[in-house]
Amino acid sequence: MEYIYEAFAKALQLITALDNELLAIVLLSLEVSLGALCIASLAAIPLGVAIGLRSFPLRGLVLSIVNTCVGLPPVVVGLFVFLFLSRSGPLGGLGLLYTPTAMVVAQIILAFPIIVSLVQSAVSGVDPMVRLTALTLGATPQQADRVVVREAGTGIIAALVAGYGRLAAEVGAILIVGGNIAGATRVMTTTIAMEADKGNFELALALGIILLSISLMINAVLSAMQQRGMRRNL
Amino acid sequence: MIWMTRTLIALACALVMPFSASAAEILCASTTSTENSGLFGSILPIFEKKTGIKVKVVARGTGAAIENGKRGDADVVFVHAREQELDAVKAGYFVNRHDVMYNDFVIIGPKNDPAKIKGARSAAEAMKKISASGLSFVSRGDKSGTHTKELELWKKIFVDPKGQKWYLEVGQGMEKTQRIAHEKQAYTLTDRGTWLATKDKDKLDMGIVFEGDPLLFNQYGIMAVNPEKHKHVKYAEAMQFVNWLVSKEGQQAIASFQDKNGNALFIANAKK
Amino acid sequence: MSLALVLGGVMRNYDGEPVFGPFSHTFEAGTTSVVMGPNGSGKSTLLRICAMLEPIDAGSIRFYDRDEELNQDLVLRRRVTLVFPKTTVFRGTVFDNIAYGLRIRDADPSSIVERVEEALVSVGLSHKIRQEARTLSSGEAQRLGIARALAIEPELLLLDEPTASVDEKHTAFIEEFIMSLGKQTRTTIVMSTHDRNQAEKLTKQILVMKKGIIASNP
Repeated sequence: MEYIYEAFAKALQLITALDNELLAIVLLSLEVSLGALCIASLAAIPLGVAIGLRSFPLRGLVLSIVNTCVGLPPVVVGLFVFLFLSRSGPLGGLGLLYTPTAMVVAQIILAFPIIVSLVQSAVSGVDPMVRLTALTLGATPQQADRVVVREAGTGIIAALVAGYGRLAAEVGAILIVGGNIAGATRVMTTTIAMEADKGNFELALALGIILLSISLMINAVLSAMQQRGMRRNL
Repeated sequence: MIWMTRTLIALACALVMPFSASAAEILCASTTSTENSGLFGSILPIFEKKTGIKVKVVARGTGAAIENGKRGDADVVFVHAREQELDAVKAGYFVNRHDVMYNDFVIIGPKNDPAKIKGARSAAEAMKKISASGLSFVSRGDKSGTHTKELELWKKIFVDPKGQKWYLEVGQGMEKTQRIAHEKQAYTLTDRGTWLATKDKDKLDMGIVFEGDPLLFNQYGIMAVNPEKHKHVKYAEAMQFVNWLVSKEGQQAIASFQDKNGNALFIANAKK
Repeated sequence: MSLALVLGGVMRNYDGEPVFGPFSHTFEAGTTSVVMGPNGSGKSTLLRICAMLEPIDAGSIRFYDRDEELNQDLVLRRRVTLVFPKTTVFRGTVFDNIAYGLRIRDADPSSIVERVEEALVSVGLSHKIRQEARTLSSGEAQRLGIARALAIEPELLLLDEPTASVDEKHTAFIEEFIMSLGKQTRTTIVMSTHDRNQAEKLTKQILVMKKGIIASNP
């Protein structure tokens, strides 16, 4: 039990001291996870919307592939990206292994299927009457699609929240492709894993508390966006 | 929808100003024992100040570190598995291997030493006693230098521990392995540096039951990735680091490094 | 400014089974007609076919503006609208909901405000203009549905059991509203109901349907 108190005390102390090394680690964590989330979303939201709106041949197959990928173990994704980006791998010439870019790449792969899957279910879950109603009011099929997607807005934000949750908590993939290099690719989760390995449990737990607080703030921002989106005009 | 798209684009743009790497940095694949002991934190700033070269360390098991060098994913490799290092040099993956420093391995076990290891005349005898006692032995099981040394000892006494009930392969770093041994009241092979640095902090109810056999000598070596195998490696900078480590100044930096408790963990022994 | 609708031998199949028709009837321009019948008699199918939301499997459906037959394209679709038995509201305010049909027609913003306000006055919902549409009661939502349809000034207004989901007070209001609409404008109105009293209150043009066909015709 005393561990917990000490960890909270340490977390407070770390936050108030705000030393540069910790700040760099926190910023890099945010940059990698949010960056990967944004890039993944740019492709995953349109794809999820497309799958959610239309039925097409092999839709079921595409969906089960996507849903299987939701469960991809991060270490497997990490290993896969590692082998691709390694100097001896097909993309070795880019020299990306052990850089934040490599971490972003791995996290994009992790976020992509979750976002596609949840966006698709948000869109296909919209009451079919919404679409019909838009059509009776003179909407073209494309305009009707837009109404459906807008109605799915809450679900789409929820997909982003879930995607961020997976990325922020992830350690397996970014450890393999980032290497946990001090001052270069060290992020919150890899630091926590390392400090736990070293037996610095209070420090590890303190970092965990900070990570949790940041996730809490980001979720708050996203749900504020959600609220705003609800009230927003077309 | 527009507000969301805009936010996404803005964030994506913020990300595209990446992570540019300055020219004067090299990647060193090394072991968790060197990184976690704090050695790098102590000596690298001295080297960086002198040469302007930043050394980025990826800490892995010895096997993985050598593999990284072979694949060209590092410029220089600093590990402790002499035989494997020499094999890899012979195979043409590395050049200019030098001994740098050593520490030694010790066998640790429960304080009351139920297998009666204390007083064994050799490391081989100690290992034989453990295997005969039926008490548990925790193995790193991760192809690390420590693991390699342990396998060497088993081979010497013709025991194949794999699959035995008393043999626990955990696939973890040294400190975690020590803690598992502590929890299970088992024996394990560890390096003196990690042992000294962590036994008090982790409140380990364990003690050294065997030490001093020259077989347990743990030699660290450094070698540069062969630029003929991998054209992109920063060979010149890597060699600067190698040469500095074996120079009088580098050796002194290693010798004067102490852990938090004031223990000297490594003995510099470069032949110059 | 009103449309006539001529259906000839229209049939509709589901899963290969004929469920509707053959149905032949002419809805004259500027008249109010009521289609009656029990649940499953084909009233809703008829109205959806007239709204061009459902394809037909046999027969023909023709729209006329005076003597000119119209192409069944977006331009025609925008002259016709259908109000469902239970109105589905969109996200946003009451204003946003009613403005939707005008915005997709690229109406200019000032005329949108004007027409939304007009439509709200006519259904008695002016005081709710800024309210979140989802928070309306079912009766209010149904009036919203009617106002939303009116705002686009349809020339053929299809109403599928518009009082099915509302209480007596709202029923009376909606009935009165339809009567005055039929008198004031030249809009062609086709409405379905299962309530004979309601039908007789509104018009003499009453069709009775049974099992997908017309059982009696005035």
